[in-house]
Amino acid sequence: MKFDPSIPEDGINVSRTHPLREALLLVGGVAAIAIAVAVAAAVAVDLVAPHIPIELEVRLFSGWFDRGVEADEAVDPREQSLAKLLGRMAGHWPENPYAFEIAIWDIPEPNAVALPGGVIAVTDGLLENVESENELAFVLGHELGHFRNRDHLRGLGRGIAFSLLLVAVGVGGSSSAVELASLAGQFAQRGFDRDQEIEADRFGLALLAAEYGHVSGAEAFFEHLPELGGPLDGELASYYSTHPLNADRIQALRGMAHEMGWELRGERQPLLSLSPAR
Amino acid sequence: MILSNIETVPGKEITRFFGVVSGSTVRAKHIGKDIMAGFKNIVGGELKAYTELIGEAREDAIGRMVREAESLGANAVVNIRFSTSSVAQGAAELFAYGTAVTVE
Amino acid sequence: MVELGVRLGIPLALLVLAYFTGAAVERRHYASIRERELRWRSVPAITFRSVPPSWKVTECTLITGSVVISVDYFKRFLAGLRAIFGGRIKAYESLLDRARREALMRLKQKAVERGYHAIVNVRLETCRMANARNSESIAGLEVLAFGTAVKLRNAP
Repeated sequence: MKFDPSIPEDGINVSRTHPLREALLLVGGVAAIAIAVAVAAAVAVDLVAPHIPIELEVRLFSGWFDRGVEADEAVDPREQSLAKLLGRMAGHWPENPYAFEIAIWDIPEPNAVALPGGVIAVTDGLLENVESENELAFVLGHELGHFRNRDHLRGLGRGIAFSLLLVAVGVGGSSSAVELASLAGQFAQRGFDRDQEIEADRFGLALLAAEYGHVSGAEAFFEHLPELGGPLDGELASYYSTHPLNADRIQALRGMAHEMGWELRGERQPLLSLSPAR
Repeated sequence: MILSNIETVPGKEITRFFGVVSGSTVRAKHIGKDIMAGFKNIVGGELKAYTELIGEAREDAIGRMVREAESLGANAVVNIRFSTSSVAQGAAELFAYGTAVTVE
Repeated sequence: MVELGVRLGIPLALLVLAYFTGAAVERRHYASIRERELRWRSVPAITFRSVPPSWKVTECTLITGSVVISVDYFKRFLAGLRAIFGGRIKAYESLLDRARREALMRLKQKAVERGYHAIVNVRLETCRMANARNSESIAGLEVLAFGTAVKLRNAP
């Protein structure tokens, strides 16, 4: 019985696959799953959302997105004039089933959101940047368009459905995988969001034309706020941003106006009592 | 390749011995099966997916150990031991090691 | 956009950093392991429970060698994704391989430094060190090698 000091061949216990190849394969796989899940979630929600009764929606979400104003606090006068304007715009949507509410959020970025339950939230930043009543009317009309298409529910539903489905297919274990998947999913859902924005623009434009007889102010709004669409440029930026890039959107608005025979020029109404409350 | 977990190969004589040879592998089952196993944890019974996982991993580990022994020119591995550890969630690590020898 | 940059940029930067440093550390470690494997190759380390009959043992003692090796961010990332699809977690294989060989080399080195000639009944144990913050991931792997070192009158 003799001892042989040979050393076994090196590397038998380690796979030869290059780690970067492995990384690429895995990341690609997770992204593919996430995109498939996101699309499935979006399609499912698009099928279901229009059939949710509005009474149910209002009951479910009442109080979720209220203004957070204490009872004894003075109501912002801007809110009243906004509500008046909103009432006029909603008047051109005869079958409107909602009782809308206005909320003003103390946020410097110009933005407006349609929230479940019939709340339209407008930011301070938006109110400070608009120059005419028509612009504001268009923004409100756009949000009314989201309500008509039930987009506010879709956005919420998609997020929930996406997370649930992701857990169901098993991407829930490691945090890096979840992060990766949610990024890919968001990217995939942008396409759906973009189509919704265009549709909401169309509805807003129709309301604007019905109220003023022309659609002046709609495109001016985007011209005033070049930063609203997102700061990136180029193809990716256009795809990434929720709201299509302003130039694209103005183009689309002009197309719609031309198609429907709405006048792009017209007299704009001045803003009344919308200066900051202080 | 002769494998045994005793010190000798019965009926043969060890003429030469080398050092420790080993084989190891880390494996995970895909999460779908992990979730099924979670349900199984409620009712009890054999976790077939995991029996399978560990079985495959063990075969893999033995295969690698044999390759190390072959690279030495040995024709048997004696006194083989297994050890299992869980290096990551839902993954099993199988390790097999023994002494490579030449028998006649 | 800034938020996206933070969400994506920091982990990505960490991944790239971990990939390069991890690869460099691994390369250096393997070089050192190979060098020591050559140096101590003439010291037998075997799993036999008894010494070969030709050896005349004068002294023996229990001896251990152990090492804890850390997982890097890149490997942990790969392992996390691999757990979704199943299959070999290749990223951890080299970690285990390094830890085992390192523990064995430390065992041999200790034996030689104390004047022993060989180690019999070698055993290897692996143990995972859980991450304190997140019990699902591992902080590192510990490998313990132990055996009985023997002094021989007729050293091989």
